[in-house]
Amino acid sequence: MIAVAVLALAGCGGGAAVPEAQQQHQQGHGHGAATSTAPPPAATARFNDADVMFAQMMVAHLQQGIDLAVVAKAMATAPKVKELAGAVDVTQREELEMLKGWLKLWGKPEQPSSDPNVHAAHGGMPLLDAKVIAEVKDRSKEEFDLAYLNLMTGHQGGAVEMAQTELKDGSNPETTAYAQRVRDSRSGQIQQMLTLINGQ
Amino acid sequence: MKLTRKAALVMAAVPAIVLVTPVGSASAHGYVSSPPSRSAQCAQKTVPCGAPTYEPQSAEGPKGLMNCNGARGDFDELNDDSKGWRATSTGTSLTVSWTFTARHRTRDYEYYINGSRVGYVNGNNAAPADPVRHTINLSGFSGRQKIFAIWNIADTGAAFYSCIDVNVNGGGTPPPTTTPPTTQPPTTTPPTTTPPTTQPPAGGTWAANTSYAAGAQVTYGGSTYRCRQAHTALTGWEPPNAVALWEKI
Repeated sequence: MIAVAVLALAGCGGGAAVPEAQQQHQQGHGHGAATSTAPPPAATARFNDADVMFAQMMVAHLQQGIDLAVVAKAMATAPKVKELAGAVDVTQREELEMLKGWLKLWGKPEQPSSDPNVHAAHGGMPLLDAKVIAEVKDRSKEEFDLAYLNLMTGHQGGAVEMAQTELKDGSNPETTAYAQRVRDSRSGQIQQMLTLINGQ
Repeated sequence: MKLTRKAALVMAAVPAIVLVTPVGSASAHGYVSSPPSRSAQCAQKTVPCGAPTYEPQSAEGPKGLMNCNGARGDFDELNDDSKGWRATSTGTSLTVSWTFTARHRTRDYEYYINGSRVGYVNGNNAAPADPVRHTINLSGFSGRQKIFAIWNIADTGAAFYSCIDVNVNGGGTPPPTTTPPTTQPPTTTPPTTTPPTTQPPAGGTWAANTSYAAGAQVTYGGSTYRCRQAHTALTGWEPPNAVALWEKI
């Protein structure tokens, strides 16, 4: 199956990107996720600025979400909160490697060309940073779940906004299909988290 | 003089967004997550909504409004009192929490019922730190009430609006609707898939909003998958799209 993945990537002219992407994948998943099935298709070469901006902003956004989910896996009290954080952690690691692979194939950097905060209009980048994540770690056990759920609900709301922008302005078929999945899965998470916040 | 008049005209014509400084402070967004505000009920799909379903945080408008949608025409349905919003039962002390998608310096938070301000929290011009939770005193009110909750941000002319339906002290008439039957998104199995007799053990067709334990097996698109770790399935996390959650067998 790894051979399939290599072929899929190499077929788009990005063979050099493969070893690093796979290495990162294995580091990201202790249980060896993504080795039994080919990853989602590599992005094709036709793309526009909106696709690049979305991918770059999602790289930063996914990493922040992973950082926060990892804290929740360790600190949350409610089993459902822990479980959702665990699923967010592994799915976003998978998405992160996919997007890094696409940006490499497109010859674009992983970071937007300027301060990400400039692009706040695309969907609220400045929500999470190291300071906010450190603050939430300091919450008492009683306060942690509520603080985390509200933070993550807001964070994923930002992802939905970015995905909506990509669905409107993007052109690359794999990227817009991914944006649709982001919109659906994040709004599904928000639905779950609002229910958890309200103790329903 | 000329410039000033021109600037004043622009400010009068285009609220909020024009006043944003170029770096680091574009769109701030937020809404009341608990008790579930009308925006939150849209996102939870408790009540079927249009645009607010995906952007509950964006009921933005100039400061000083008294509505549920800010200046967003496509959020007008949030003002519709007959839409079946669920009212949260409460005593006279109500705890409110907020969710933000962007963190902005805050002037203050205000809460109104029928034009009377029932709550005020100074934001001290600081960025919100989660959890943002306020306790509102509803003494003197009973029965079904609509609370206008307003987040006035400090560095633009904008505010964010949330409406919270409550039922104070169980007084008054009960809310027109309890939870509508549409709360859960449809989880029906497509009727055309494999017959039940040929399913692998403990199988079934993958379905969104279903809770799967690690090791559970499902079919999807003609293939069989084993769940790697417990989770509630979501649209967008179909087994081929979430290899981290599903192993193809």
